[in-house]
Amino acid sequence: MNKTVLTIIILGLLIALIIIFQGGIKIKDNSGITTDTIVQNSEIRDGIQYVTINARGGYTPRVSTAKAGIPTKLIVRTNGTFDCSASLVIRSLGYQKILPQTGETTIDIGIPQTGLPLQGVCGMGMYNFLINFS
Amino acid sequence: MNKYLFHVSGTHCASCKILIEDILGEQDFIGNVNVNLKKEIVDIETSSEKSAEEIADILTSKIKANGYILSVEKMIPEKKGDDLIWKAIPIGLIFLVLFFILQKSGILNFGIGTKTTPVTSFIIGLIASVSSCLAIVGGLVLSLSAKVMQDDGKLAKKTFILFHLGRVFGFALFGGILGFIGQAIGINFMFSVILGLFASAVMIILGLNLVGVFKKSKFTLPSNLFSYFRKVEHTIISPILIGVGTFFLPCGFTQSMQVAALSSGSFISGMGLMLAFALGTLPMLALLSFSSFSFAQSKYAPLFFKASGVVVIGLGVFALLAGLAGVGIINPLFNI
Repeated sequence: MNKTVLTIIILGLLIALIIIFQGGIKIKDNSGITTDTIVQNSEIRDGIQYVTINARGGYTPRVSTAKAGIPTKLIVRTNGTFDCSASLVIRSLGYQKILPQTGETTIDIGIPQTGLPLQGVCGMGMYNFLINFS
Repeated sequence: MNKYLFHVSGTHCASCKILIEDILGEQDFIGNVNVNLKKEIVDIETSSEKSAEEIADILTSKIKANGYILSVEKMIPEKKGDDLIWKAIPIGLIFLVLFFILQKSGILNFGIGTKTTPVTSFIIGLIASVSSCLAIVGGLVLSLSAKVMQDDGKLAKKTFILFHLGRVFGFALFGGILGFIGQAIGINFMFSVILGLFASAVMIILGLNLVGVFKKSKFTLPSNLFSYFRKVEHTIISPILIGVGTFFLPCGFTQSMQVAALSSGSFISGMGLMLAFALGTLPMLALLSFSSFSFAQSKYAPLFFKASGVVVIGLGVFALLAGLAGVGIINPLFNI
């Protein structure tokens, strides 16, 4: 094989890697939500806003929006989760914990402000989620 | 007896000396054989009356299958290494693409019961060994194996076995301790992330070394820590310690299992869980280290080392970026 062919192959593979990393391949997760869709996953009960994130093989929904200015709690739901998403880190809250394999973990995030999104990552850093407040 | 001196090319590791001496020594017209790897020359005593060129041809035919060539004149080093890297890069990239597609596919995310038993932890181990944890643990195993192989083939087998033994028994021991303590002390988050960052740095350096960016097999790095690491690499203790140390490397599966061991309630049950988990990860990791062992003795050795270098660099960079995002130094760049 000559170098031109190999160069083309290398470029092709690099582009494939970039597409994979940019999340170009959208694969439906268990709940049937494509990972990049913005969904409504918050509800207000007794004056407290609850935002739910599912953790298994990554976090879903990856990006979500919730209301700013009201007391908010984050519910992280695990279900047979053994991968990295079970070890949750939220820097802005100084929160880090290895979640139970199955269950719900409620985290108090205080009163969020507009324009200050909440970001959670897994311990190894390969999964993340973002909640925008508006 | 006539004495001849030939130039040899294709020698890439310490075990090459033994291999060449063995094969050539078996020929009945050959007396003493001595290979000097540093100068890439072979001294031969022979009863044959043929010319040096003819002998070189005959002997080359015996060892050509292993990738070595004898010649009377020193062969001008071809730009072979350059060509090789052109083949090694696509091979390495193909592996990386396949690996990340596997991660992205979600195949590995099926639910595994709610109760953790040794059987489920064995299955979790099997999954973990092909999951994103492979990026860090597997990458480290591959790079260290290839490096040990390149340096000294003789010790490699023993080193691999010690590493895997250290890993399995280390997991069992620490699992037992966690089960015994039983309180949620947990493994320090920061400690494991920093260890992971260190491991990814080691992987990138070893990967660059395998690809041949640094001078062949020579560490020119000034780092004291690294030269210490390299020095102990060949003793009995260090492969065991590195094996045990993989317990603390950041891997979601390992951490989940550690929590399961913590809440298991006794030394024996904690040990059982972690032992089963480590055994589950063993097939894949053993495959990685022993495949480098068998490849390193074939004629594809140079290509194998370079291609694994590419894979290791890719995984190392991935683990490094992920680790930096994990400690919050950079924003997460990806979601794999």
